Amino acid sequence: MKKHSLLKKAEPYVWLLPSMLLMAVMILVPIVTVFQLSMSQITRAGVIKGYNDFENFKAVFRSPTFWHTLKNTLVWTVTVVGFSTLIGFVIAMVLNQEFVGRKIVRAIVVFPWATSLIIQSVIWKYSINADYGSLNVILQKLGVIEKYINWTPTAQAHFAWECWIGIFVTVPFVTFCVLSGLQSIDTAYYEAADIDGASFWQKLGRITLPLLKPSLTVSTVLNIIYVFNSFPIIWTMTKGDPADRTHTLATYLYKLSFYNGKSGQAAAVSVIGFVILCICSSIYMILSLRAEKEEQ
Amino acid sequence: MKKILALTLACTMVVGAAAPVAAEGSDKLALNVIISQYGDHTQEWWPTFESKFEEANPDIDLNIEIVSWNDLYTVVNTRISTNQAPDILNIDTFADYVADDLLMPAEDYTSEELKAKILPSFWNANEIDGTVWALPILASARALFYNKDILEAAGAEVPTTWDEVLDACEKIKAYDENIVPWSLDISTDEGQAAFSYYTWNNGGGFTDADGNWALNSAANVEAVNFMKTLIDSGYCTADPYTETRYPQQDAFAAGSLAMMLGPCNLYDIAAGVNFGVAPMPTNGDNESVQMGVCDRLMAFRNDEAPDQEARTAAISKFFDAFYDAETYSEYMVFEGFLPVTTDSGEILAASADKYTKGDGSANGDSEYFATFCDMLASCNFYPASKPEWNDVKQGVINAEQQICQGADAQETLDLLQEDILTLQEENEAAAEEEAAAEE
Repeated sequence: MKKHSLLKKAEPYVWLLPSMLLMAVMILVPIVTVFQLSMSQITRAGVIKGYNDFENFKAVFRSPTFWHTLKNTLVWTVTVVGFSTLIGFVIAMVLNQEFVGRKIVRAIVVFPWATSLIIQSVIWKYSINADYGSLNVILQKLGVIEKYINWTPTAQAHFAWECWIGIFVTVPFVTFCVLSGLQSIDTAYYEAADIDGASFWQKLGRITLPLLKPSLTVSTVLNIIYVFNSFPIIWTMTKGDPADRTHTLATYLYKLSFYNGKSGQAAAVSVIGFVILCICSSIYMILSLRAEKEEQ
Repeated sequence: MKKILALTLACTMVVGAAAPVAAEGSDKLALNVIISQYGDHTQEWWPTFESKFEEANPDIDLNIEIVSWNDLYTVVNTRISTNQAPDILNIDTFADYVADDLLMPAEDYTSEELKAKILPSFWNANEIDGTVWALPILASARALFYNKDILEAAGAEVPTTWDEVLDACEKIKAYDENIVPWSLDISTDEGQAAFSYYTWNNGGGFTDADGNWALNSAANVEAVNFMKTLIDSGYCTADPYTETRYPQQDAFAAGSLAMMLGPCNLYDIAAGVNFGVAPMPTNGDNESVQMGVCDRLMAFRNDEAPDQEARTAAISKFFDAFYDAETYSEYMVFEGFLPVTTDSGEILAASADKYTKGDGSANGDSEYFATFCDMLASCNFYPASKPEWNDVKQGVINAEQQICQGADAQETLDLLQEDILTLQEENEAAAEEEAAAEE
């Protein structure tokens, strides 16, 4: 009898074991390895020559490109997460209304999300190309422009386009997170508010936003992590060029490692990114959880 | 009962996942070869070679893996860092592997006959400190390609100097605004090629006459400033910073780009337009210099191999089979590249019309390939045997991009030169330290 209960106690762990092992192998081991690599001297051919006294970190901090990249990463994350949350929220509010063709509109909103990021970026890259891009052709045919316009004359212009594409592909995710939150709100609250004569803004501020907080928290934290680490858009569009002015940390470390042959420094950048991300997500989670508790 | 069964199943899964894959028992000597993908035909040719080779050498198990250039460095570096370096590798660089003592000297596995038939300039190009470390696999030369119809319609001559380039571009622009006159690729992919085209044809280059780095010479400053002039005048594709050579080749093939500095295998791609080939334009009286590109085959050391002699013998057999005149010229024809061995050079020169497209859909043009084979003798190559080469390559791309975006050319190249010299000193100091430690 006792044996049986022991088995019963162990059972959940046995079931969990495969995924725990998988997580350990696929997540923990690489993290530890990257930390090790970041403190090692690695030759261009990939041979690891042992610890080198934080030389990789020192070299990274000395490089002006790193600081510029860090600034870019901040701008990229804040812009993309901020605007996509704002736009996604508005779209979700609209989609939550009853109107004809709502299902079709919902399907259309998912499209950018359902397409691979690389394909999206390639399509955008060719659309805005000044010499043969479809954007110029369409605008010219419509008579809006006379001559083809170079949409990406500077590094800043490149980066602005990349941010726009980032927002464009992230909006559906936010929309659906918010929409699911909206649908779980009991309509009785709104009916009660209507009876009390609450305005649209009052309902938004007093009912919708507080009740949406959990789904907004989840979508924002996940978004920060995704966007911060996002690689395909920038790599496909510019590879961080011109002159390394459009990198974020993810593309910068890839270029350091596989183009410049500096795997040690790339690992150091990776560790820096990991730490920043941990801090940001923790602060956000703690703040929002605390706020939730206070409300309760 | 069901539960216990399920539990056992779960446990087996866990153990199964952790257990290493059983090694295949085999008496054959395995040779792992990584070949880079040059085009659509690479995938077709090598499997046939593999099966023929294994038929002739039943004791060798040849494993050929074809990897695209996009992934090649990633794949090779990962293999090396996990102690799974291939036996034979086809890539462009080799100095980094020599620096880490990973390669076998080419003399160890190259037969006398093979050595005798490799063009001497290519054999010597793979030498570091008196030892040859790799074999040339194929060559390609770059020259000026121009669309005859566009130039004629615009009333422009084929340019031989930089001034004539500007003049021709202006005429083409005046003839049809939607045709891009000139192409420039200073992207991360191959911006160092543009640096070579313009600096070499201005009497400059990566190194001075003694072979020392000379990135900030006056000739180089002038050359990079000329690139900026081309961009600022609106003669190039609008985005030379991120647009690689490949879409430009497509544009040339589609007739929307009038002139480009391109590789000899553009023949295959641009078959649809009426084009001509000319030497690269130079600045003023400077001699026209063409660029040669040479990729390499190299054998890695494997100190853990049980039978070193048998392994070296197998590698030798691979090279002898590959460079066999018939086989090798067939491969060159397949890829549309130029041979680096004398005997296949003769075969191909005798019947250069053998150069057909890999799928046989278009016949070759003997005159065209003869021009390039002649060019090969006087081509300049990247200084790839210098250990700082990779940093120089990335450095000049970055400098070009900065300068074309408005940075001062002299200052930018001065900084780069300084960085590279510092790196060289560090490399030399590290090498001395290592040598002292060995003693």
